[in-house]
This record gives sequence, structure tokens and C-alpha cells, in this order.
Amino acid sequence: MKLALSVKDLNLYYGNKQALKNIEMDIYSNKVTAFIGPSGCGKSTFLRCLNRMNDLIDNCRVNGNVFLDDVNVYSGKMDVVNLRSRVGMVFQKPNPFPMSIYENVAYGPKCQGVKDKKILDKIVEESLKNAALWDDIKDRLNDDALGLSGGQQQRLCIARAIAMEPEVILMDEPTSALDPISTKKIEDLIDKLKEKYTIIIVTHSMQQAKRISDYTAFFLMGEVIEFDTTSNIFQNPKDKRTEDYITGRFG
Amino acid sequence: MKIKDKIYNLITYIASSMGIIVLIAILLFIFNKGFNKLSLQMIFGKYWAVNYISVEPIKSGNFELTNEIDGIYSKNWGIALKDGDSKNITITFIHKDSPFNNLIVKDGSINLQKGYTIEKIDLGELSVGKIVGNNAQDVISTIDNYQTIQSVYFKSQSGGIFGGVIATFYLILISLSIVLPIGISSSIYLKEYEKNKKFKAILQYGIDTLTGIPSLVYGLVGVTVLFPITQLVNINSTSILLGGLTMSIILLPTIIKATNDALDNVPDSLRQGSLSLGATNFQTIYKVVLPCCINGILTGVLLSIGRVIGESAALIYTMGTFVNDAPKISSSGSSLAVMIYSFMVQENPNMELASAVSIIILIIVMILNVILRVFGKKFERKLV
Repeated sequence: MKLALSVKDLNLYYGNKQALKNIEMDIYSNKVTAFIGPSGCGKSTFLRCLNRMNDLIDNCRVNGNVFLDDVNVYSGKMDVVNLRSRVGMVFQKPNPFPMSIYENVAYGPKCQGVKDKKILDKIVEESLKNAALWDDIKDRLNDDALGLSGGQQQRLCIARAIAMEPEVILMDEPTSALDPISTKKIEDLIDKLKEKYTIIIVTHSMQQAKRISDYTAFFLMGEVIEFDTTSNIFQNPKDKRTEDYITGRFG
Repeated sequence: MKIKDKIYNLITYIASSMGIIVLIAILLFIFNKGFNKLSLQMIFGKYWAVNYISVEPIKSGNFELTNEIDGIYSKNWGIALKDGDSKNITITFIHKDSPFNNLIVKDGSINLQKGYTIEKIDLGELSVGKIVGNNAQDVISTIDNYQTIQSVYFKSQSGGIFGGVIATFYLILISLSIVLPIGISSSIYLKEYEKNKKFKAILQYGIDTLTGIPSLVYGLVGVTVLFPITQLVNINSTSILLGGLTMSIILLPTIIKATNDALDNVPDSLRQGSLSLGATNFQTIYKVVLPCCINGILTGVLLSIGRVIGESAALIYTMGTFVNDAPKISSSGSSLAVMIYSFMVQENPNMELASAVSIIILIIVMILNVILRVFGKKFERKLV
């Protein structure tokens, strides 16, 4: 199986406090990998390491290697802007820009220098179709994106991410702010998107991880306790702590 | 106990109504003094009167009128006069066919207008330079006996403030076009780029201190530090440009503060969203963050305009107090607020005109406040 990302011996510190300890993980292409674990266990922090969003935090320090196509993300060879256009991200709270729907989706390509209106039109249409949003909003592409419902906004954010044609899409609890029906739509969408993209999702809901992911990593206190196929994690956990967590004994 | 509470309440009421009382008192005072002076002619007119002498004779005709008009009318000449203040004879009406409409003066022709004053009328037979009649009635009855007027000595209306309006407009234009780019970019630098917290705090402290400095001090800085800059473009006296430069320093903290607040209001999630799409820091700021700040910056602009209109102390040094009817950026002139000062320090303080200007300033400031409120609400709603 092809590897999308390979993490070797990753440590992360906030000031003097170590938040991630010796993380080793291989993430396979065209699979959905879920990160579960109690709050503050470092799963979101780890997700943000993968496209270097942690760079934005003042006193955050990362040691270790993340390989994307054999290039270390943390080496001088990797340009952050290039990295982020290859590893897209969807956030916990829908964060569409205060512009039109069209402008939101076209934003990424425009920043990369795509100016041709026809190409942009095509990218916008394709992305919205792939994000299962096209039929809802095809007549009001020029409306303010903030007028959409929460679920539509989140799908717009996904469309915005896939407009960049990334290899990997990181999702940081993308459904935690949504109602069950919108959540279902996003989950269906993730299932469809994995044909083209590698998806890494942080989730609070073990049911969600069980439903949509192929691989699951269980985080605790900044360490990966167990990483395996989702069925193994939920049916035959090897570690006592994993078993305690998935059976609801803590967390 | 109860009486004590009531006394406390009373004190609170009195104290809090003080503001309103003062505002009403100011309004009553300036409206009482200046309202009669207020007119379109005053707003759009010149402050200094210009003397004219017509050089070609004019002939009388017959200009019947059917409607009543103000003043004493001469149907042979189609002109109505009345006795104005301080022994002036003022034109109140000119018939549209009247020969007075086609007076030829030294440098071309001029249209006599309502409000001009007649100084002398030369009827040929009467010796040149003699005033015809002592009042409006006298003048009309004398000229009605003649078919030809050799020459008219007249004066345009004075007491207008349009020069001040233009000077104020220039001042706003110059100071904003200097302070906006500088203020907004410093704010962006402070909030989005500078990571060193200590250095940031020092800069912020400096900017906050600027707010507390009396504007007179800025005026001194203007004449000493900024004057050499205007000398570079060959302006060697006080000028509107110098006033605008000085104002832009005074406005700097206002604009920086407004932009800072607006930047603080832009949620970090938008910045992260943009960066996660592979946008550079620069693209994020100019395409996502700044457009969100437009309302906040506009609030700052409106506050600044109010400040420019109201500022006087710093401008007395830098722009001069000369009431200039045709101000240019390179010449001195006085803004509306400085005009109040100029009118009050001359030999005969002109309280009425000063009050009328105050009314205009007050109205502009009130309108700005209303716009600010509307904008402020829109600003809050959009980003929450």
C-alpha cells in the first residue's frame, strides 16, 4: 500500500512542556485515518504538525520528521506555502471567508496565481460538485458565504480545500459544531472523497471513527498508545488503556 | 435612610443631566447669536468685499413689476434698494432685463447680485465721486430723473465663509491621504508581523502617549520640524500643506487605534483558514483580513474628519489665521474652526459670524456622529 505521510520520532514542545512524545506513524494513501483520545491528548496538535500550522504558535517547537513523498516537511527543502497547498485542512468551526461562495472556493487557486476566469469557473464547479454542495447553491454562487447554514458552510470549507487539489486533507473535528443531519452528509462526503484523497480526521466521537475510518490511532497524554486498522482497535485492542477508553471507562 | 438615598439619587440625576444641560446651553447660545447670519450666501460667499467701478454708461428703460418686492423699486432702472446695516445701501432685487445686469467693469463684465452694496452713482451732470442721496429712497428718486448713468461704484457682499469650507476640505484631504497609508501599515505591522512582545509594547505605549499630547505642542512641532519639509516644495510661509502634515501626526494614533481594534476583531480562524489554503502571510492580510477591517477603518476615518474640523490650536501656527477667500494648498488660509478664532480676535469681534460658523461646525459634527453610530452597529453585527 502506498504511503501518503510517514512520521518518524516526532516530539513537540510548548515552551518547556512536552506535548507530543516520540510519535511514529505511517498514513496510507486513499484511506481515512482517525485520531481519537480524550481532550488535551495532543491529537489536534499532531494533526497541525502535518501541515505545519503549529508554526503560527509563538513558543511551539517541533523535533522530528514528517515525510511527504520522501521529502521532510520540516526540512529547508519544503516551502510552507507549497506544503499547505498539498496538505489541505478543514477546521472544527466552519470558517468561510466573508466573501461570495464563488470567491471562497476560488481563493486558494487565485492565491497560487490562477487568473483565467474559465479555469477558475471550472475549478469552482468541480470542487463544489465533489463537496456535494453544487446542487444546493449553483444558482447563488455570488451570494455571501456567511448566509449558508452551518453544514453547508462546512462543506464549502471542504470544497475550498479540495479546490487546491491536495494530496491529503486534514480534518479537525469537522462535525463537532454541526447537527446530526449535516454530520451524516459530511461523513458520506468523506467516504466519497477517499477515492481521490487521503483523509486524516480528528474526532471526539468513537462512533464516528468506527463508521468512517479505515485506520484509527488512539492518543493519550501526547503519546500514540495504539495505531491499527479500525476494526482491530475497536474489536481486539492490544493495550489495556485503549480498551478502557473505547469501552467508556474513562475519557 | 430613605432621605439619604433620595439625596444620593438627586445628586446622581443632577450630575448626569449636566452633560445635556451644557449641550443645550451651547446650542441656545450659538443659535441665538448666529442663526440670523446663517444663509446659503454666507456659506458660499466670500469673506472680503471686492470694489468695482463700471466704466460704460447704461440707459434707462421701463421695467414694470406686478409682484411685491422687498425694498424701494425703480421701474425705470429695474432695481430695488434698501438701507442695510451701517449705512450701506443694499441691492435687494434686480429685474431680469435691467441694464444693471450688463455693467462693464475694468476687467470685463459683471453681474450685479442681490446683497451687493452701492457706494456711488455717477450721473454725469453731478460731479464725479459724489454719493447720490443719503438713503435708498433718495437714490431711487434721483436716478429716476435721469436717462443715463455714467458709472456705478459698488461692492460685492462680504462676510461669507466659503474659503474656510474649501480650506477645511483641503485639510481633510491632505491629512487623511498622509495618515491612512502610514497609520494602517503601522497597525498591520504591529498586529500581524511584529512578534517581539516587548518591542511591541514599547511601540504601543509610544502611540498611546501621542493621544495625550496637547495639540498646541503638535503645532510647535509643525512649525519647527515639518516646516523644512514644505520648504522643499518651495512653500516658505504657513500653508494648508503644513497644517495638513501637522494634522496627520495628530490623527496617527486615532487611525492606528481604529485599525488595531478592527484587526483584533477579525477572528483567527479566518487567518488560519487562509494560511491552510497555501496563501502567504501577505495574501492573507490583504485579501482576507483587511477587507474585514474596512468598517473599523472607516470609523477611524470619520473620527479623524471630526477631529480635523474641530482642531484649531495646532493650525493657528501652521496654517495661519488669515481668512483666505481662495485658499490653495500652498497658501495660508483658515479652516472653519480657526475662522472662529480669527473673527473674535479682530478689532471688532464679530460674535454673530463666529456663532454662525459654530453652528455649521456643530451640524457637521452631529451628522458625523449619526453616521458613526450607523457604521458602528453594522461593524459589530458583521463580525460577531
